[in-house]
Amino acid sequence: MTGETEDLELKDRLSLIESMIAEGRRTTESRGWIFVLWGVAYYIAIAWSSMSFAGPIAAAQYLAWPVTMIAASALTVVLLVRKHSKHPPTTVGRAMGAIWISMGISMFILCFSLGMSGKAEQQVIIAVIAAMIGTTNAASSMILRWKAQFACAIVWWAAVVASLFGTVLQSEIAFLVAIFFCQIVFGAYGMICEARERKREASHA
Amino acid sequence: MPELPELNPVIHGKLRLALLSLLSGVEEAEFTWLRSKTGSTDGNLGAQLLKLEEAGYIAVEKKFVQRKPQTLYRMTEAGREALTEYIQALRRLLGGAINA
Repeated sequence: MTGETEDLELKDRLSLIESMIAEGRRTTESRGWIFVLWGVAYYIAIAWSSMSFAGPIAAAQYLAWPVTMIAASALTVVLLVRKHSKHPPTTVGRAMGAIWISMGISMFILCFSLGMSGKAEQQVIIAVIAAMIGTTNAASSMILRWKAQFACAIVWWAAVVASLFGTVLQSEIAFLVAIFFCQIVFGAYGMICEARERKREASHA
Repeated sequence: MPELPELNPVIHGKLRLALLSLLSGVEEAEFTWLRSKTGSTDGNLGAQLLKLEEAGYIAVEKKFVQRKPQTLYRMTEAGREALTEYIQALRRLLGGAINA
């Protein structure tokens, strides 16, 4: 066997290691749909809670956030369980799950307590929610080394500042814009990346 | 001239290397998942997994889920260290050719 052949053989081993490690990690990257789902859920909750016309649904505006958030949570859990049953758990996946589940529980307790206590000042609530989502996105982006997600964290932090220093209207607009870019657009971008990756892997198989 | 490192023969086998690399990216994996990712036959896969288990590089757990047998494989700390050393040795052997 020549030296060149040996080098090719060893390089082949390195490529094999890289592709197999990537194959194991691929299971953690299918998350774009969650962002889109929650972005839509936020919009539904906002639209429902700000309905001005009469009717049974509009009358139950106080139920808008709890009902939408619980429904979105239930749907997320059901879809995640179905997806997880096909793939083995990964360390990165557990880290990501820990961050987002902790944020979700904190958000639920915060919003529930604010709603029940009546100590709810809209601009402060928006700022706190945006800060929590921004922190979670930043932590997630650092684990995944994903610059696009860190950009989302910056947008959420900008929404915090705009909410506290702007008017009520500016605060609402900042929140809606952050949801659009960081949930809908970023989620769709994530889904496109995942689809491309799957296509690339299928062509290599 | 520096001495060239030797490659661990237990890891060097292609299927065993693929299995260890796969297990390094996940916490644990089922036999069926490993089979689908490597495209190996049951017999060959079982034999290679046994070699890795005997070397102490992977741990096996057998259990029943909804009355169906399930075999889970997990990389051990010794396996992780061995794979890391193998990759380092591979890189040293390749030297300048690695980026060619």
